[in-house]
Amino acid sequence: MATMTSKGEQAAKLEKIASIWNSRAHGLIGEMNLKIEKVEESKVVLRMPFNPDFCVDDEGTLLHGGILTALLDSSFGLANFLATDNVQSMSTIDLRVEYLRPAESRADIIVSAECYHITRHVAFNSGRAWFDAPGKPEVARGSAAFSLIRGEGSMLDKMNTGGPGG
Amino acid sequence: MTLKELQAQCESVPFFRFLDFTILEAEDEVILASLVQSDRHIGNPIIGAFHGGIMASFMEAMASVTVSHNWDILRPKPINLTIDYMRPALAGTLFTRAQVSRKGRRMASVEAVAWQDNADKPVAKGLFHFLLV
Repeated sequence: MATMTSKGEQAAKLEKIASIWNSRAHGLIGEMNLKIEKVEESKVVLRMPFNPDFCVDDEGTLLHGGILTALLDSSFGLANFLATDNVQSMSTIDLRVEYLRPAESRADIIVSAECYHITRHVAFNSGRAWFDAPGKPEVARGSAAFSLIRGEGSMLDKMNTGGPGG
Repeated sequence: MTLKELQAQCESVPFFRFLDFTILEAEDEVILASLVQSDRHIGNPIIGAFHGGIMASFMEAMASVTVSHNWDILRPKPINLTIDYMRPALAGTLFTRAQVSRKGRRMASVEAVAWQDNADKPVAKGLFHFLLV
């Protein structure tokens, strides 16, 4: 019975995080127009629609690497919220991104990010990004560590009830 | 290339217009630039902090322009990057100085540092590798 409750709680939490994320995205996350494709316990799959503003060429065929870095950073943050409760805030300690090939396509980008280990103070992430196109060409891989500040009331709750800018 | 021409060249790049930075000084292998926060740069709306990805993108942009001032002749291909986030970057202006550490025929390595009010208190540092062929 206890496991059923916790499974139910987990599902509710995922649903809540997904709905807050999808409806209350501000700033760069709003600009990237991210859609949650899939959420699991400590893993998330997001879609970023193609946007010519993120390209380096006028023809709009080659994405700048920086937007892939931003996408990985955002998805890591979300994966960390999924992985644990009671995180009041978090900040990126460091981030590494490998650009595997030129990001040349007008297809959407799919990013899969995972919190593969978490301690009281630190979360460890890895992720990859590919084009939603035949052959799923992988364009970037990333890894990061985040510092976690624990306490009552999560950052997502504050976003939902409206802090400054919220 | 004058500072004005360099700025105009950057403004021809869609993603650089999205970032909306201003190049303040440009020497052969060093560039200093500023970026004033807009809503689209925000990552954490609660404290109004810059998105870490915007800081990384700004530093990467400046690093690549430092490697090659003229993108019509050579646009550096990014290989990888490492960013060390040291402090939150809050509302206001973000400054970046990018400096080439080594530039060979095939590869370039660039260091960038970002700060706000006090250059002695960096908000982030980055290391960028580019392929030049």
